[in-house]
Amino acid sequence: MDSSDLPRRPELRNLIIRNRKRTILGFDPQQIIKYFFGANASTAVIVLVLIMIFLVREGVDFLPTNRHELQTYRQAGLEFCDLVDRPLREHQTLSSSLRQCVSAALEPIVKDARERRNAAFLLKTQAEEKAARQREALENALEREPPPAEDQLAALRKDLQTAAAAASQALIYPSLFTAEETALFKAQLAALSPELTDLPPFIQALSAEFMTQDRAAREKYADLVTAQEEFDEAPDDLHELVDELKEQALGAKQSVEESHALAVNRQQLLEAAETTADPDEKASLIKEAEASVGEEVDLTALTKELTARTGELQTQIAAYVESAEKAAASLPDDVGTPDAAALLQKAKKGLPAHVQDMREAATALESWRVDKPVSMLRVIGAFFFGTEWITNSSWQDFFGFVPLLTGSVVIALIAVFIATPISVIAAIYTNQFATDREKELIKPVIEFIQAIPSVVLGFIGISLVGDLIKEFSEVSWLQWIPGFPIQERLNMFNAGCLLAFMAVPTMFSLSEDALNNVPRGYIDASDALGATKLQTVFRVIVPAGISGILSAVLLGLGRVIGETMVVLLVAGNRIAIPDFSAGPGVVFQPAHTLTGIIAQELGEVSRGSSHWQALFMVGIVLFTISLLVNWCARAVARRFESQKA
Amino acid sequence: MPSAPVPASVSAEPLIQVEKFNYAYGDHQVLFDLDLNMRSTDVTALIGPSGCGKSTLLRAINRINDLVDSARVVSGRIRVDGVDLYAPEVDVISLRRNVGMVFQKYNPFPRSIFENAVYGLRVAGIKNRHDLEEAAERSLRSAALWDEVKDRLHEMATGLSGGQQQRLCIARAIALRPRILLMDEPCAALDPIATARIEELILQLRHEYTFIIVTHNMEQARRIADRTAFFYKGRLVEEQDTMKLFTAPDDPLTESYVTGRLT
Repeated sequence: MDSSDLPRRPELRNLIIRNRKRTILGFDPQQIIKYFFGANASTAVIVLVLIMIFLVREGVDFLPTNRHELQTYRQAGLEFCDLVDRPLREHQTLSSSLRQCVSAALEPIVKDARERRNAAFLLKTQAEEKAARQREALENALEREPPPAEDQLAALRKDLQTAAAAASQALIYPSLFTAEETALFKAQLAALSPELTDLPPFIQALSAEFMTQDRAAREKYADLVTAQEEFDEAPDDLHELVDELKEQALGAKQSVEESHALAVNRQQLLEAAETTADPDEKASLIKEAEASVGEEVDLTALTKELTARTGELQTQIAAYVESAEKAAASLPDDVGTPDAAALLQKAKKGLPAHVQDMREAATALESWRVDKPVSMLRVIGAFFFGTEWITNSSWQDFFGFVPLLTGSVVIALIAVFIATPISVIAAIYTNQFATDREKELIKPVIEFIQAIPSVVLGFIGISLVGDLIKEFSEVSWLQWIPGFPIQERLNMFNAGCLLAFMAVPTMFSLSEDALNNVPRGYIDASDALGATKLQTVFRVIVPAGISGILSAVLLGLGRVIGETMVVLLVAGNRIAIPDFSAGPGVVFQPAHTLTGIIAQELGEVSRGSSHWQALFMVGIVLFTISLLVNWCARAVARRFESQKA
Repeated sequence: MPSAPVPASVSAEPLIQVEKFNYAYGDHQVLFDLDLNMRSTDVTALIGPSGCGKSTLLRAINRINDLVDSARVVSGRIRVDGVDLYAPEVDVISLRRNVGMVFQKYNPFPRSIFENAVYGLRVAGIKNRHDLEEAAERSLRSAALWDEVKDRLHEMATGLSGGQQQRLCIARAIALRPRILLMDEPCAALDPIATARIEELILQLRHEYTFIIVTHNMEQARRIADRTAFFYKGRLVEEQDTMKLFTAPDDPLTESYVTGRLT
């Protein structure tokens, strides 16, 4: 065919050169779409960065603010008082365990007499209640002015007598009383009348009996009783002195704070004045600022008054220590019941340490210097290693986050400890053994757990799990479990159980994915080499998926640490470091958490106060922990992946 | 396990007999009325276009397809040494220990070379360290891998080259001293040099094991197989002496396939 016969086509060079540029507002549409998609993708990153900036901006001021507070705490002499006051607080615990010891020792001797007396009192009250109507009528009549006619009164008296007799017959008399006693008491109850002021003689006799028994018991354990009383009263003088000093220090602190507030106010007024254009208003603002000057507080003079009494304090401490030691020395070895012996042992163990603390306090008083500046390191230490979180205190606020961190960590560990085996085993079953129908049932059900609002789980924790744990803890053949029977229904274990439940979907789904991702070839090879199903699962599939499983566990941990509602409702919210000396039973103690404290307190504090800033610091720490946990999860996954490849 | 590699008995009775075998995945039948005998002395190659059922037949011989829920025997039977493979008294685990398999994509476990070599023995319950070491050396030598890996037995198997990994898979299979070795396109993922080494290995080992090889590479079938079976759409078209099948096949379909004209 001749080429000239073909239809003429445009020149190639004209086709490949763009002749007309399409633009929207001067931009290439392709580029616009690209940026639009990119912007959506980067929103998450931007928001995350903004959150970090916001948290840090609010929280970072905490350090200077708290430093200033601690400075005042020192300069006003509060710290000086706490040197003695803190170790002195141990006295209360020791004294109360001694008191409990005394009552435990007396208990077996006085128990019967006390129960009889109390039962008699109870019966009397019941008898009076049953005849209350007639009794009141008579009482009113007696009080009336002028007094009613004698025959009217006689009628009322008769009514009451009948009612009282009926009541005394109707009562159930416990077997604590012998038949004779019951008959006697019944007669006395029947004769009860508002005109009699004395207690029925039977009750009087019982009271006397109790007093005699009590006296006898106290005589039997005279050593213990006197030692306890002496120890109880030992610090009275010291307390008085410390309280006096504390009041003085508090006064100093308040005047410092007032003058500081005035200075801040003045600063603000002056700043406002500078920005105002109106000369009149400017003048008035400046005038107001001039007025906002507090008296200069002479702290050195105030604290000198405190330190001047160091000698007096030391003498008192020495006196206290001496009497405490004397009391400790005179404690007997034998106190009858095992309960009492345990309490006594506790007190005996605590006493020498307490005495030692007091002695150290006495020396510390001398080396205390009011003008020593509070270093930033100490402020940071006070936050990160502080064991007290005390707010809204009339004395001094402390923001130590160790108790919160401990609570969060212990609860999270309990949750992970419970959730890991459940979810991993469930994932293995679903992935390897379940039939398709079972899979269709198990997977959606477990994933549905995620949709349960955590506040609803909180209800369940309070009403159901708490009661269940409490009931179980009282079952007699379970008493070998440490911590049983439990004191609090709302505790860390309860919260841990619920959080475990919440972590299961995350752990289960991700573990199941990890198992799913195990290459088919490994499973085929193992089967072809004559491995049984279980051997394939445990020698090939689980080891190959272990990175995914570990990372699933870590992500579950991240979820658990950040969870707020359940812990707030269920963990018991006691701000104190759990007593780890109780062994594993520690999990049954209540605690507060990082998340819980923010949720609970942030709404109540004034914006910008040191408390507010402290909560933001807690937020920063929480955020950092979550980031770290997630980063670890990724690192674990990546590390094992690269080994496999 | 036999104490020494027993040379396959040269008897008239074929080792593997496939009789009127019909096989299906769910409702989808993939093998139709298969009749095929394979002798223990031969290397048998199974060829045919993708989806013709040759791999399915291979996977039915060690019953690894049992793990696919929907797979089932419709009718007919496969006898190995006279025993019906799908009879209830057959112990599948023992069957697989004696009928080894090597897969298309080399798949060593993500563990050390040593652990890979002895995996089959470990799951069979052998714990004696000495026995395991001996078996590892023997099987790695048989697979012509020993000299390359003897100094790094405890390194990850996944660090080896593709050809080495496939030979490790062969070593892993023969560590159990099976009678039959099923190979599902063993060289499909390898370069020509690695392929040549595997083929060489098969020729070296052919007196100890009965090889059945699925391959798409007709040159390979020609080089290593004594007998070749051609499958098409789930049916056996022709089973012949390899030379005859490639040079003068009885069936025109076979001829068009081996000459590359089948459409």
